[in-house]
Amino acid sequence: MPLKRRPIQWPWQALLAVILLGMAAGLWVATKRVNYEWRWERVPQYFAYQAEEPQTSPVAGKVSSISPDGRYSRVEIAPESGGQAVAVAVETDTLKVKAGDPVAAGDDIGAERHWKIGPLTWGLWVTIWISFLSGFFGLIIGLITGLCRLSPNPALRGLAVLYIELIRGTPLLVQIFIFYFFIGTVLDLDRIVAGVGALALFVGAYTAEIIRAGIQSIAKGQTEAARSLGMTATETMLHIVLPQALKRVLPPLAGQFISLIKDSSLVSVIAITDLTKSGREIITSSFATFEIWFTVALLYLLVTSLLSQLLFWLERRFARSD
Amino acid sequence: MIEVKNLIKVFEGRGKPVRAVDDVSTRVRKGEVVVIIGPSGSGKSTFLRCLNGLEAFDDGQVIIDGVDLGDSKTNINTVRREVGMVFQHFNLFPHKTVLENVTLAQRVVRKRKPAEADEKAMKLLTKVGIAEKAHEYPSRLSGGQQQRVAIARALAMDPKVMLFDEPTSALDPEMVGEVLDVMQQLAREGMTMAVVTHEMGFAREVAHRVMFMDAGKVLEDAPPTQFFAAPKEPRAQTFLKQVL
Repeated sequence: MPLKRRPIQWPWQALLAVILLGMAAGLWVATKRVNYEWRWERVPQYFAYQAEEPQTSPVAGKVSSISPDGRYSRVEIAPESGGQAVAVAVETDTLKVKAGDPVAAGDDIGAERHWKIGPLTWGLWVTIWISFLSGFFGLIIGLITGLCRLSPNPALRGLAVLYIELIRGTPLLVQIFIFYFFIGTVLDLDRIVAGVGALALFVGAYTAEIIRAGIQSIAKGQTEAARSLGMTATETMLHIVLPQALKRVLPPLAGQFISLIKDSSLVSVIAITDLTKSGREIITSSFATFEIWFTVALLYLLVTSLLSQLLFWLERRFARSD
Repeated sequence: MIEVKNLIKVFEGRGKPVRAVDDVSTRVRKGEVVVIIGPSGSGKSTFLRCLNGLEAFDDGQVIIDGVDLGDSKTNINTVRREVGMVFQHFNLFPHKTVLENVTLAQRVVRKRKPAEADEKAMKLLTKVGIAEKAHEYPSRLSGGQQQRVAIARALAMDPKVMLFDEPTSALDPEMVGEVLDVMQQLAREGMTMAVVTHEMGFAREVAHRVMFMDAGKVLEDAPPTQFFAAPKEPRAQTFLKQVL
């Protein structure tokens, strides 16, 4: 009698650990060989940094007193011309004057610091909202094109096929250039509009095919049942076919939108400062080439995995009626 | 109620076209139950589907309650409201609960208020004996229960005619009875019905008339007592010998 055996797992898990360790060691040796000096400490400042804003004396006079007040120090300046003392607050460790020092109007007394958002955070934000906008419009374009693709009207069907074939048959990079340099110039479009437009048209063509396949996968009986109840073709599509089709195509749609986030890096070629372009700009000033590219890759990974978690959650919610 | 004149439906298959419905003329009066039987491929389902325009016919006339389906001025959707249909594979909407299945068309097509539609739906679900499953999804129901929901869904539109397309063929044997009971009750209440089925018991007990179809033609049209006792057509005789 064949018994069901639990296969032994641990040797394979050990092998996996050895392979991963080996890869890490290889990476370490490789960077040693090219004499690369890792400077990870340079990276955080590109997410957010403290900007110093110099504080100057508004009047010519003499520093009459300095009174510490927590992180700040209150510097009081007695004007030469007499009258009321003027107070300036600066951070204690940036103080450049002592009590009794004479100051001219416009002299540095110290500085005030505050947090500023760094280019990596800005780039990430730009990437997120560009992807979101183009995904949103892409979905609408895809929905309309997918429906046209299935329309009995030859004109609509022909246009849909032409659009899908044109977009799927040419590289996105070329499409972005054409959209920006040709259509953008003719219609006088902003570079952001051109970038989002090109991405939306690109993702729309793929979405259209996904949605068409989804609609075709719904059994004919569903349409027949709805029509036999007196619903029009539009009502049937809206209430019966589309909800079921969209639920079914959620996994491939998720893949498409994750691709979109990654493909959005191509808009950096038309000087939109997204995450990729920010990374390139930072490298010219920091020389931390490896660190920045790894960080940029990790940030893309973070956004895409968050999105796939979100869609996974949606999928489970829709599975309620199964 | 239903008037069919010289109905012809041709399927363009590979090679030669097939006349699925070949010059059929008949008439179903109000409150009459007509059962259509025949071997598979005889065109009985196609004939039934022509009666609510799910199948576009090639020639002839179908007149439902005075409205000509073939007339270009006829809005097929308004005709279909009055003609309920029950399918072999139920075709419930899987993404809607049982209650929503029965209320959806009431709200969308008949423009009834949600409360009114719910009330009507619950009344019908009680009638077909399945009210306690109102908030379940169809996938949680057995075949017999699903088919009863499908009947309630069709009845919710207050149809003047009900078409049944092999309503028990996809059911496990022990569930056939519950669906036939509902249909029998409908017949007693005076619903005009056209039923394609293989249930000879139902035909014998409930039908006012039995139509025997083969190769797209109606070969015999008689009351059940006469048809089952002494079929005239040799092909009907062979068929009955095989199924009884």
